[in-house]
Amino acid sequence: MDILCLGLNHQTAPVEIREIFAVSESLLGEHAGRVCEVEGVEESVVLSTCNRTEYYAAAVDCGVASDQLREFLQSQAGSRLKVEHLYEKQQLEAARHLCRVVSGIDSMVLGETEIFGQVKKAYQAALEKGSTARSLNQLFQKAFGVGKKVRTNTGIQQGQTSVGSVAVDLAEKIFGHLRDSKVMVIGAGEISRMTAQSLLSRGARSIFVTNRSYERAEELADELNGESVRFDQWHEVLKEVDVVISSTGAPHTVMKREHVEAVRRKRRYRPLFAIDIAVPRDIEVEVGDIEEVYLYDIDALKEIAMEGKGQREDQIKLCERIIDQELIESGLFGS
Amino acid sequence: MVQWLLVVATLLVVIGGVWGTTAFRPGGRNIGTLSCMVLAFMCQMGVLGIRGELRGKCPLGDYGEILAFLAWALVLFYLVVGPAYRLSLLGLFTAPVVAIFQVVAVLPGVMDPDPVAVVEVDPWGEAHAAFSVLSYGAFALAAIAALMFLVLNKKLKDQQLGSSLFRKLPPARSLLDSIVRLTSIGAGILTIGIVSAFLMERDNALGSHLIAAIATWLAYLGVVFMYFWRGITPRRLSSSVIVVFILSLLVFAFV
Repeated sequence: MDILCLGLNHQTAPVEIREIFAVSESLLGEHAGRVCEVEGVEESVVLSTCNRTEYYAAAVDCGVASDQLREFLQSQAGSRLKVEHLYEKQQLEAARHLCRVVSGIDSMVLGETEIFGQVKKAYQAALEKGSTARSLNQLFQKAFGVGKKVRTNTGIQQGQTSVGSVAVDLAEKIFGHLRDSKVMVIGAGEISRMTAQSLLSRGARSIFVTNRSYERAEELADELNGESVRFDQWHEVLKEVDVVISSTGAPHTVMKREHVEAVRRKRRYRPLFAIDIAVPRDIEVEVGDIEEVYLYDIDALKEIAMEGKGQREDQIKLCERIIDQELIESGLFGS
Repeated sequence: MVQWLLVVATLLVVIGGVWGTTAFRPGGRNIGTLSCMVLAFMCQMGVLGIRGELRGKCPLGDYGEILAFLAWALVLFYLVVGPAYRLSLLGLFTAPVVAIFQVVAVLPGVMDPDPVAVVEVDPWGEAHAAFSVLSYGAFALAAIAALMFLVLNKKLKDQQLGSSLFRKLPPARSLLDSIVRLTSIGAGILTIGIVSAFLMERDNALGSHLIAAIATWLAYLGVVFMYFWRGITPRRLSSSVIVVFILSLLVFAFV
């Protein structure tokens, strides 16, 4: 069975295109099942994060599977999807790519740790749906092993290794020390938790957590010594906070311009730092047009994330040597 | 002597500004810049001391003296008030303004080389002149901080985060705090200057110079009142502080 990876990421497609293909965590298994129905595809795993959506497939004939999968994707996006937005990798290249993704080398924020958990969840969802078998099981198990080895034996995680830490650096550029700053986290997922922890570690005074599932918001708020807010009441807290971090899985925008306009006077026009790390985006683009609002989406954070990249070129080479060595030793995927 | 002291003071602030850029330390002030500013301040004190002796009163008798006094007040606020805010690059942005004031002051004909000493001094008149010009030091520094904020704001809004200037600029909130405090301090000092003006001996009821000074005072009070009463966006606050400062310089046209 041949291995195929077809996908788009932050390097090949802008956020406007990526958000069309974004799949919420709860639907990953179902989506993988749908991909299995595509002609020529025997197994599949769908990975969807802020930075990428990738379709891993096992097929008897990669060429047929690739053509059908491309048609499947085109049917979702129509003319907005261009050929250059997609990349395709087969066999050893596909395996190498997955190892790079799991290791955080292919991430926007080099060496970030969230991606490892996100790939695991994508694989677990496909496994539970029954859309994986021997080929993809082997591929993903190998990739997890390589990812762990890379992170243990290299310094790729040192420095700014998460979207959260990059966002916090920017918050400090606006507010200086964060000990007088109040933060609201919209969406109680893993990225929200890590970002909130980064803010707390830099001295953020209080954190409000809101989520569609109030129980989940309460859990995270307890963990962070923060305060939970019901999802239909988050806009009432907006007048108090300085930083908003949004990373829900909602398919539409959560924070709209009118929400901010309604509280500007009450906020006394204080600066508001809005960080949208969700794909599809949670915060309406027009919110950034408000004078005192600094809106950054996942692509905008790229600038800072790239700064550390040059310093870690040597570490990348080391990671790639480990990946190649591990794949060759495995004798799998045509190596 | 006065001209040479002004030239030396100008060279020192320029060196201090350049030094502050090359030996940057985040969140703090470069000791080289600070030393240059202290030395420049001493030279300015020498200039004002000599001119005060010649005039027999506060040296605010011609445009050269007013500019030298303004430059001195600006450096004074940089040295005294600046450390509380710990604003990096403040020296770099302050140096050109001080240098421009002093370069104009040394131009031939701007400063009277042989001033006439006064016979009688009106203490209220002296207080009016000194406090008014001193307040301009605070307003000038507020305008400089406002300019720094506008630069930072533009970079944050346009998401141009890679430049060296962006990394070196102080946090936006620190700049906004300093703008508000300096404007409030300036307005407070100018209040003393305005009150002194009403107590000093005057030829007519309300001269054009005093009307312009009161207009400046009201404009700054308006900005401060607006900020504390209903709030104002950071960009509008900064733009207002810069515009009012530039317009307020017109007061000296009526001196």
